[in-house]
Amino acid sequence: MARYQQGDLAAANSLIQCMSPRLHRFFVVQYSSREHADDLLQEMWLRIHKARHTYRPGEPVLPWLYAIARNIRVDHYRKSSRTTDHEQPLDETPEVETAAAEEMELIPNLDVLLAPLPESQREVITMLKVEGMSLEEVARATSSSIGSVKQKAHRGYEKLRERLTMLGLGKGQVGELP
Amino acid sequence: MKERDMDEILKQAAQTSESVNPELLDRIAASMGPSLPPVRPLPPSWAMEGGLFAIAVAIALVGAAKAGFFGFLKLSVLDRMIIFPVLGILIFLAASEWVSENIPGSRRRLTPGAVLAVSFFVMLAIFGILFRNYQTNHFLSAGLACLGIGLLHAIPTAFLGWLILRRGYAVNSVAAGLVGGTLAGLAGVTMLELHCPNFQALHILIWHIAVVPVSAAAGAFLAWALASRSTSHSSHLRRS
Repeated sequence: MARYQQGDLAAANSLIQCMSPRLHRFFVVQYSSREHADDLLQEMWLRIHKARHTYRPGEPVLPWLYAIARNIRVDHYRKSSRTTDHEQPLDETPEVETAAAEEMELIPNLDVLLAPLPESQREVITMLKVEGMSLEEVARATSSSIGSVKQKAHRGYEKLRERLTMLGLGKGQVGELP
Repeated sequence: MKERDMDEILKQAAQTSESVNPELLDRIAASMGPSLPPVRPLPPSWAMEGGLFAIAVAIALVGAAKAGFFGFLKLSVLDRMIIFPVLGILIFLAASEWVSENIPGSRRRLTPGAVLAVSFFVMLAIFGILFRNYQTNHFLSAGLACLGIGLLHAIPTAFLGWLILRRGYAVNSVAAGLVGGTLAGLAGVTMLELHCPNFQALHILIWHIAVVPVSAAAGAFLAWALASRSTSHSSHLRRS
């Protein structure tokens, strides 16, 4: 990241290659849509590029990146809710339903697994358990206290436990989720 | 089911996720252009915090110097030793939080709302204990004048503070506006404590303290309006 700030194009490219899959997964988990995640990932790198001077060399990079990612997600949510507020539903939408059903089958398993959780718990569990960030890093990324992160993770895990038990899911069975 | 098993399930689920389209990554890399200009990182946090603190104190002092240090001269030594260090600590707290709001992924001591609440209740407690004259003369006219003076000193503080932090990136612009407004309001209150010789308890508890929430609300509203404008402007550009 420090080399990216100094104008090293190769460092920027390697950062894009290294971080994009993680950020993309973060967006997919939040939206359950690959198309949205692709758009958000592009938007994310534009903002990272504009705000790259705000990263401090020596500080952990993940909280900085995920704080920006959350900001993009919130902006996108606001914009999309404004758009959907103005949309008028059609009386009959058989083709759309079919397309949605087909899309459901393509949803990656992680977002299906975390879908019933509230957004704040979903993002904390993704950062902590999937991305392997520490409590301190998640607290920095979400602009909250470590106590609040612990509480969200605990509540999220309780709900997840109920869901997994209900599905009768054990280790090695993740691919069989509906 | 044990937590370790759940961790394992989540990791397996993450591995089965679809990978990013390599063409998309190439497009993102290409959008950076053939050359990448180096950028100067932000100055250290302590320098920006110190700058904000100095601005708030300087504006309060300059304002009081122009209008007269009547309040300061009328206060007892004990009152001075309590009021001004407490205001100084609150100003530092707000300055520190405003800097954190403008650097993504910063460590937080308090949320912007908590900074506002702490400032409000600490001032309420201190002024409530120190000022015991419950008479009310010219309550509205004198109060509105003080509120106006306090807010007039909050405006340049907020503007100069914004100049210091203009290179930052606020992930939550409303929160940044709220804490910036709180800091500016505290500068206004400090000026009023130096200047205003009206020691009626209700005057101070209502009209002096009101500068902080009014200034914080104005900061949050302004930040919200600017952010909404820039969001609609960028989406308009994208559409066209």
